[in-house]
Amino acid sequence: MMGINLFQILNGLTFAALIFIVASGFTLIFGLLRIVNLAHGALYLVGGLAGYSAAKASGSFVVGALAAMVLVAALGAVLDRGLLSFVRGVELRQVLLTLGVAFILNDISLVIWGGDTFSVPVPEVLRGAMWIGGVMYPKYRIFVLVLGLLVFAALWLLLNKTRLGALIRAGVDDPEMVEAMGINIRRVFLGTFMLGAALAGLGGVVGGAFLTLYPSADAEILVFSLAVVIIGGRGSLVGAALGALLVGLLNAIGQVMFPELAYFVIFGPMALLLAFRPLGLFGRAA
Amino acid sequence: MLEIRDLHSFYGEAHVVQGASLTVRDREVVALLGRNGMGKTSLIRSVMGLSAPQVRRGSVAWKGEVLTGMTSHEIAGRKIALVPQGRRLFPSLTVTEHLTMIKSVRARDGWTVDRVMELFPRLAERRQHRGNQLSGGERQMLAVARALMIDPELILMDEPSEGLAPVMVQHLEGIIARLKEAGLAILLVEQNLYSALAVADRVYVIETGKIVHEADASALVDNPQSLIRFLGVH
Repeated sequence: MMGINLFQILNGLTFAALIFIVASGFTLIFGLLRIVNLAHGALYLVGGLAGYSAAKASGSFVVGALAAMVLVAALGAVLDRGLLSFVRGVELRQVLLTLGVAFILNDISLVIWGGDTFSVPVPEVLRGAMWIGGVMYPKYRIFVLVLGLLVFAALWLLLNKTRLGALIRAGVDDPEMVEAMGINIRRVFLGTFMLGAALAGLGGVVGGAFLTLYPSADAEILVFSLAVVIIGGRGSLVGAALGALLVGLLNAIGQVMFPELAYFVIFGPMALLLAFRPLGLFGRAA
Repeated sequence: MLEIRDLHSFYGEAHVVQGASLTVRDREVVALLGRNGMGKTSLIRSVMGLSAPQVRRGSVAWKGEVLTGMTSHEIAGRKIALVPQGRRLFPSLTVTEHLTMIKSVRARDGWTVDRVMELFPRLAERRQHRGNQLSGGERQMLAVARALMIDPELILMDEPSEGLAPVMVQHLEGIIARLKEAGLAILLVEQNLYSALAVADRVYVIETGKIVHEADASALVDNPQSLIRFLGVH
C-alpha cells in the first residue's frame, strides 16, 4: 500500500475540477427545473466526441470546445422544449424520459463515431509536464484545474451579480412567484438548461483530453455528477464545488490506498453524509 | 377595471369557487371578506392565472380583455400585481434583488427602487438583508414593494395583515391609502373586518365559494353588525 503524495493530491484536485465543470451544469438544471437530467452524461459524451471531431478538423482545441458547447446547448434546447415540455411537473416521467434520451444519444454516437476510444488533441502549449512543488506534473491537468476555478468564478458572478442570476435563484426558491412577477419562467428555464448542457459539452472536451472518450464514459461521469450534487445540495454552486472537491480527493485516495474499494470510498461517506443531512451540505427543502 | 363573472374554480373535484362575481373599478379599494377556507385565496389565484385551482367556467376581464386562459406572466404584464398570502419572498435574494430582478436599478420610469425605498424607509436600511432575515412587518413591506416594481394598476393583496402586530397593521393601512391616492386599484382579501373597513371603498363577503353580500364600506363603518353574522367575528 502506498502513501498519499502531492502527485495524487493534484490528480484528485484536477479530477475535482473536471467533475465540477460537469456537475455545475447538472446542479443548475436540477435546482431550477427540478429535473434529474439523466442525459447529462450523454451530453458530456456527445459534446466530447463532437468536440474531438471539430478539434481534429480545425486543428484547434478552442474551436473544438466551442463547437461542443454550442452543439450540446442546442441539444439541451431541443430536449427542454421538444420533449420535457410534454411531461412538465411529473418528475418520474421526466427522469425516465431523460434516461431514454441518454440511451438514444449513446447509440447515435456509436453509429457516428464507433466504439473506439478517442482522445481530444491537446494544444501544443499544454503538452508536456512542469515542476510543481517538487513533482513533475502534466501541464494540461493544471490547465483543467485553472479552468475549473474560472468556471466557478464565472458562474458565481453570473448567479450573484447579474439580473439573470437573481431570476435563476428566485426560480429555484419559488418559480410560481417569479412567473407572477411578470417574468416568463419558461424562458429562464430554457436558458438555464442550455447553459447547464453547454457545461456538460465543455466537460466532455476537457475531460476527453485526459480521461479519453469511450462508449460508457457517459455513465461514469453521470454517477460522479450525481454524487457531487447530492453531497453539495440541489442547485447550490458552492455545494457543487465542495462536493466535487470531496469526490475528487476521495477518488484519488481510494484509487491509491484501496483500489478494490475505490467506489466505496466515495459512496460510503456520501451515504453517511445523507444520513445526517438528507438535503446535502447546502440543500434546502423545496 | 376588473370584472369577475360567474367564476368557477376546482382543485381536482373540489369546487372551491362556485360562481363568484365581483368588480373592482379604477382607483377603488375593494375588500373580499370571508372566513378560512371560503375560497378567498382560490379566487385571487384564479384571477392571477395561477393553477391550481383550475378555472372551468366563467371569466375574468381586465379593461375589457379576457384574462382567463392567460399565463400569469402575461397577466402580470397587463399591470396586475400579486401580494400573495404568506408573502412568499425569495430566501436567496437580498431586499434590493427582490426589486431589481424585475426592473433595473437605473430605471427611471414608474416605480423605481429609490421611489419604493422612499415609501418603505425600513427596507432602505435593510437593502443587503435576505428575505428570510426580515421581521414579519418588513417582509410584508417587501412583498408590497416587489409588487409595485411592475408598475401595477391593480394589486391583488391576499391577507396582508395576517400575522402582523397591530401597529404594523395600522402602518399597512396607511400604505394602502397612499397607494390608492397614487391611483392604484386594490383587491384586498381580509379576515379582519375592521382592518378592511379602515381602507376599503366597498366590501364583498364570500362564503363557500359564493359572494353572499356586497356593501359600501361607509355604510358599514357605523353598523358592522350586518356583516358579523357572515363572518362569525367580533
